[in-house]
Amino acid sequence: MMSCDSFRTRFHTGTDDAALLEHLRSCDRCLDFAAHADPDVMFRALGSSTFGSEMIPPGGIDAFVDGVMQQVRVRDAETAVASSQAASWPRRLAMAAAISVAVFGATLIYRFDTPQDSSPVPRVAVAVPNRTLTTKPIVETYDSQNATIVEVPTDGTGGDDVKIVMIFDENLPADL
Amino acid sequence: MKRIAVVMMMALLLGPAAFADADAADAAKAKSLSVRTFQFKHKQAENAAAAIKALVSAGGTISIQPKTNSLVVTDEPENLKKIAALLGQFDVAPQPFHLTVRLVSAGRVAEDRAARVPEELRDVESKLALLRYNSIESIGSADVSGREGGPGLVELAAYRADFQFGEYDPASDSIRITDFKLSRLDGDQLAPMMKTTLNLKLGQTVIMAVTRDAQSQRALMMVLSARR
Repeated sequence: MMSCDSFRTRFHTGTDDAALLEHLRSCDRCLDFAAHADPDVMFRALGSSTFGSEMIPPGGIDAFVDGVMQQVRVRDAETAVASSQAASWPRRLAMAAAISVAVFGATLIYRFDTPQDSSPVPRVAVAVPNRTLTTKPIVETYDSQNATIVEVPTDGTGGDDVKIVMIFDENLPADL
Repeated sequence: MKRIAVVMMMALLLGPAAFADADAADAAKAKSLSVRTFQFKHKQAENAAAAIKALVSAGGTISIQPKTNSLVVTDEPENLKKIAALLGQFDVAPQPFHLTVRLVSAGRVAEDRAARVPEELRDVESKLALLRYNSIESIGSADVSGREGGPGLVELAAYRADFQFGEYDPASDSIRITDFKLSRLDGDQLAPMMKTTLNLKLGQTVIMAVTRDAQSQRALMMVLSARR
């Protein structure tokens, strides 16, 4: 195939050189270049060497028609795909509506299945003591480093009325 | 198409409304903490904080304001009512209290006999028996009256106990006996023996037995009882 440089070297206004015209059919840049100098060259490149005669596309009319029909089918297919995509929004709406209805329905079921305060649940009065006392250690501090303090657990006799605390302190005199 | 749109709109409008109650309940729970400030006339705020510490719920807080002698408490309203009631009892003018002190000398003697408990110690006889001393002698008994913050003094035979009536704690229904110093007269000198701070629950009897060690044959017991 002819190179662009070769085309531009050999090209001249009004040319009918088949090789040059064949190059123009496949090279848009050279077609632009040639059209500036010779606006009719494009028509000559389409296959007719003379004005007024029937123009025959390269490869023949059948090939041209097949190409056109192929483009038409491609366009039809693209249109069909685009239309099917455009038509999916009702489906989306339907799905959104279904999900929303399902969530709403589940919420209603949950609320009505869950016992509410208004349901007639028998209430039992429970006696609650007025105050719960906290407990503090009997011996809060003891000023000796060598002392052991033991709070003797009560065995239940006498309840908590009497508590015993033992303090073992080596600093205490022996003759207590 | 319109039906779908209508159903969808209803679902979108009513769905959030169904959740609104739950959200409102959560928000109400989060907002249910209240703040109250308590200022004290008679008691120290830090002592008040210690008194209510056990009542404050897990989500509550206590902030001590020393300059104004006050507490800022954040808690659930119901709990704040209890705290307010407790602090109302706490912040009162110094109350009078009575402390009964009985001194007992105990020992383990060789004789295989059960301890003869003096008549004035019959009320604690069963408890004294737990300590396994078979010689129990009463040194003496004293009843001391005083007010919160005031001094107390007991002198029984050669022993002397001086102390301070501390603050009453309504949470534990107890009174602190601070700086309880026990001394014994040796010759003409008072020899200090021990110093302690006690929490005495009102109406409860505490037997405090002091000894050198577990093998010691002698012990000094103080039978203490506080009341209003």
